[in-house]
Amino acid sequence: MKVEILYPEICNLFGDTGNIRYLMRCLPEAEFIRTALSGEPLFLKSEPNLIYMGPMSEKSQERVIERLKPCKERIIELIDNGVCFLFTGNSMEVLGEYIEAGGTRIEGLGVLKLRAKRDMKNRFNSLFLGKFEDMEIVGFHSRFSSAESEEGGFAEVVRGCGTGAGSVTEGVRRNNFFGTYLLGPLLVLNPDFTQYFLRLMGSEAKIAFEDTARRAYALRLAEFRDQKRHLD
Amino acid sequence: MGTLRFYFALWCAKLIKLLLILVGRKGTYFSGKAAIKICPDFLGRIGKPETIIGVTGTNGKTTVCNMITDLLEACGEDVLSNRLGSNINAGVAAALIDGASLSGRCRKGIAVLEIDERSARLVYPYVRPDYIVCTNLFRDSMRRNAHPEYIASVLTEHMPKASKLILNADDLISSAIAPENERVYFGMDRLECESEARENIVMDISVCPVCGRTLEFEFRRYHHIGRARCECGFASAAPDYKAVSADFKNMELKVLERGEARKYTLVSDTVFNIYNELAAITLLRELGRTPEEIESALKRTGIVQSRFREESVGGKKVTMLMAKGLNAVACSRGFDHVSREQGKKVVALMYDDIFDEKQTSENIAWIYDVDYEFLNSDDIVQIIPCGVRALDGKLRLLIAGVPEEKITTLRSEGEIAGAIRYNDADRIFLLYDVYRYDIALKVLDEVMKKVREVHQ
Repeated sequence: MKVEILYPEICNLFGDTGNIRYLMRCLPEAEFIRTALSGEPLFLKSEPNLIYMGPMSEKSQERVIERLKPCKERIIELIDNGVCFLFTGNSMEVLGEYIEAGGTRIEGLGVLKLRAKRDMKNRFNSLFLGKFEDMEIVGFHSRFSSAESEEGGFAEVVRGCGTGAGSVTEGVRRNNFFGTYLLGPLLVLNPDFTQYFLRLMGSEAKIAFEDTARRAYALRLAEFRDQKRHLD
Repeated sequence: MGTLRFYFALWCAKLIKLLLILVGRKGTYFSGKAAIKICPDFLGRIGKPETIIGVTGTNGKTTVCNMITDLLEACGEDVLSNRLGSNINAGVAAALIDGASLSGRCRKGIAVLEIDERSARLVYPYVRPDYIVCTNLFRDSMRRNAHPEYIASVLTEHMPKASKLILNADDLISSAIAPENERVYFGMDRLECESEARENIVMDISVCPVCGRTLEFEFRRYHHIGRARCECGFASAAPDYKAVSADFKNMELKVLERGEARKYTLVSDTVFNIYNELAAITLLRELGRTPEEIESALKRTGIVQSRFREESVGGKKVTMLMAKGLNAVACSRGFDHVSREQGKKVVALMYDDIFDEKQTSENIAWIYDVDYEFLNSDDIVQIIPCGVRALDGKLRLLIAGVPEEKITTLRSEGEIAGAIRYNDADRIFLLYDVYRYDIALKVLDEVMKKVREVHQ
C-alpha cells in the first residue's frame, strides 16, 4: 500500500500532518512517500492508494498550482479511476477553477467545479458537526476563504457552516476524492470515517488506538451537539 | 491633540483607573478600552513621549519588553510601559493614559510598548515607534494568527516606514518584514554547548522565498531558527550584533558589535533568552547607550525571571514550566527541555484552553504541531495529560509512540498529586498554559506535600 503526501514542506499548517502520523500507525506496513515541491509526483507514473495534501499559506497555493498544472489530466484520470484523495484545509481550492483574492483572480487547475473567495481581513473560525452517510463528522474551520461549488458535498451541515455562505454541505466529494475545509486533523477526530476511509483505500486494517480514539470522539460529539456551547 | 470628546475620554479613563486602583485592580486595560470606545482615534490624540520603542513577535516579546524597560530604568530613564497591562491597542492606550497629565500631555520621555502582532493595524497608524524590535515569528494560535506568513504581511503593511527595525537575523521570516525600513540585525553563532536540533514538526520556512528551492541550513538551532542559504543566492542576513560565545559557568556573553568584541553579563542560562538579551542589547546600543552603561545596567537588573519554578525535597525536584497553550513552538521547546533533563521523569500536562473548556469545544489541531515525540523516551516514566481534553492528549501521545502503560489521563488537575508514581521518579515536571498559573501553583503545593510524605 502506498500513500503519497504532496508537498509536505509547505502543505503542513494547522496540525493536519497529524492525519498522516495517524495513518502511519493505522497502516504500519504501508509506504509513505513525501513528494517535495521540487520533485515529480509519484502519481504521474503509478496509482497510490491515497494522495494527500494538507493546508498551506495563500502564497504557497500559487506555487502548488504552478507545480500541479501539468498534472491536471492525470489527476482527473485518477479521480475517475477511483483513487482515494484527501485534501484538507484550503488545499482543495488549488484544484478549483479559480481563487478570487482582493480583486485579482488566481487560476486554479480547473479539476473541480469550485470557485473560492479569500477575505484576508476576516478569519472564519468555527466548530463543525456534519453527517456523512450514517456517520457523524466533527471538525474545525479556521480559514480566510469560502467557496461555491457544483460538485457533490462531502458532509451535510448539522451545526456550523458549509463550504460557502448558505451552503448545506461541507467540502467536495467526487468518486473517492474528498476535499474539505475541515481541520482537526480529520482522521484522528473521526474514527468511524477513518475506518470507512481505510476500507476505501483497500485496507482491512482496524484503526489504531481505537478505544481511545472512540472515547475522545464520543466526548467531542457530545460537546458539539450541546446547543449551549457556542461554535466559535 | 484635543477635541472635547478626547478630553472626555481621557478624564473618564483616568477616573476608571482611579476606581480600579481603589478596588485593588492593577494592570488592566479597561481604562484604555473605555477611552477608545468614547473616542475612536484616542491613540492618535493622546500625548506621546519623545522616544517610543515597540516590541513585537511571537515568542519572547514580554521578556524583551521587561528587559529593555529594566535596563533603561537602570540607566536612569523614567520609562512608560505596558508591562503590567495588555499588549493590544487598549493596553497601549491604558499605558499612555497612565503617563499623561489631565491635559493629555505625556509626562515621560520614553516608552517601551509591547505590541501584539495582530494589533498592528490598530496601533501603528497612531503610535509610531522610533524603533520596533521583532523577536521572531512562528506559527501561533491558528484562530487569531493564521500562519506566520500572514502575520509577516500584516506587520509589513502596517509598520510605520520611519521605524528602525531591530530584527533576528537567524529567523528568515521576521528578518524579512517591512523591507523598506531601516534595519539592524542581531544573531547568534553556534555555541559550544549546542548540538544540531532534533527534527521538529513545525518548520515555518523550509523553501526559499525567492525561488522555491529547498533551503540548506548551515546550522538549525530549533524549528526554522538558524542560518540558511539557497543556491539561488538567497541567505540569512548578516547580524550586526552577533553573540559568538556564551560562558554559562561565569555567566558571560561575548558579542561582536559590527566587528568589535564586547562582553556582557549573561542574564539567563537558556539559549532562547540569549536571543532576548541580544535583542535588548542591540536596541540599547542603537539608542546610543555605551557598552559600559549597558553592562552596568545588566549587573544591576540581575537574572531574568524565567518561566521555571523549581522546588526540591531530598533530591526529588519538582519543576513548574509555563508555555503558551495553542502555541506549538512554545510547547515543543518545553518538551525539548524536559526530555534533555537527567533522571527518571514524570510529566503532567495542563494545556487545555481555560476559556474554551466551558463555552465551546477546543480546536485541538495545534497539538499535532507539538513535538510530543520528544516525550517518547525511556527516562520519562509517566505522562499525565490532564483536563477536559485528556483523551486527546492521550491519543496524541499514543501516536507519538508513547506506550499506553505510561499514560495516566485525569479529568482534573486536582487529581495530579494523587496520581503521580513518586517512587518511579527523580523529577516531576508540571507543564501548564499561561492562564493556568494559579492552578499549577496549587498542584505544585499538593505535589510537594506528597513528595515530603514519600520522602519521610
